Amino acid sequence: MRVSEIAEKAGLDSLNKYKDKEVEGVYISDMVSDIITGAKSNGILVTLQTHKSVIAAANLVDVAAIVFARGKKPADDVVGLAEKAGIGLFVTDLDTWSFAMKLAELGLK
Amino acid sequence: MGTCNHKWSMVNIRSGYLIVEGCYKCKARASFFSTEAVPPIANYQDGEHYWKHLGSSQAVKFDLACDYCGEVVNLDDMMGLMLSTCRDPECEVAQLASEEGEGTWIYVALCADSSHASGRCVSDDGIRALTEYFNANIKDPRKKVIVVPCIKCKSIDTCEGIVIADTGLTDFY
Repeated sequence: MRVSEIAEKAGLDSLNKYKDKEVEGVYISDMVSDIITGAKSNGILVTLQTHKSVIAAANLVDVAAIVFARGKKPADDVVGLAEKAGIGLFVTDLDTWSFAMKLAELGLK
Repeated sequence: MGTCNHKWSMVNIRSGYLIVEGCYKCKARASFFSTEAVPPIANYQDGEHYWKHLGSSQAVKFDLACDYCGEVVNLDDMMGLMLSTCRDPECEVAQLASEEGEGTWIYVALCADSSHASGRCVSDDGIRALTEYFNANIKDPRKKVIVVPCIKCKSIDTCEGIVIADTGLTDFY
């Protein structure tokens, strides 16, 4: 399933232009140093953190998209950096657990 | 590193704290990784230095091991990574970014001693393995990562970049 398809089915608000990659997994973390060791290429990262360090970490491990839970929105410069990296940024009003359940219902593991 | 076409994996992943200290006499800064349950915050004298605790943050460290030949590259000398956004024409890292162009992302491997008074930094083997590891896991053919040691920065204290650190976010315990 591609990023755009997941976004549509999960009712996500898109914040930027992105490369519409085939998604290969999900990782949940609020620690940027943990993202480097846990997130995988072409995965979706679900987090509460909205600062630039998240983009720097996600880009290093080639994450396809980041979903900010509980309606949190990053600043414009963060969105700009993600767009340059081709990483899709999305916002969900759901909490992390509820959104993870929704991704599981969509068939993502 | 021999003739093996390495396939690196992360090993020895451990959680702890990155502790930053400063000498209030010579203004040097140093950092180290601690796996203690409570990060050490003591001030102490070590030779001519008078180290004062400046802060700590949760951190994760790792080494790299080759799945084929079993070689392990120890990354104890790396305290963190920073995405370089430096544009100083006199900085070697900024020059590299300019030469490589769009699609290449320069990450600076930060060592424990930003002054580089000893002349040491993150090892060449570590830099090479990190670059190979991250690129091997990138599936976008138009994207490339280059890892460089922080000694290549004109000045690590003024070099612009985004440090991948949890400082100020998860430093409570």
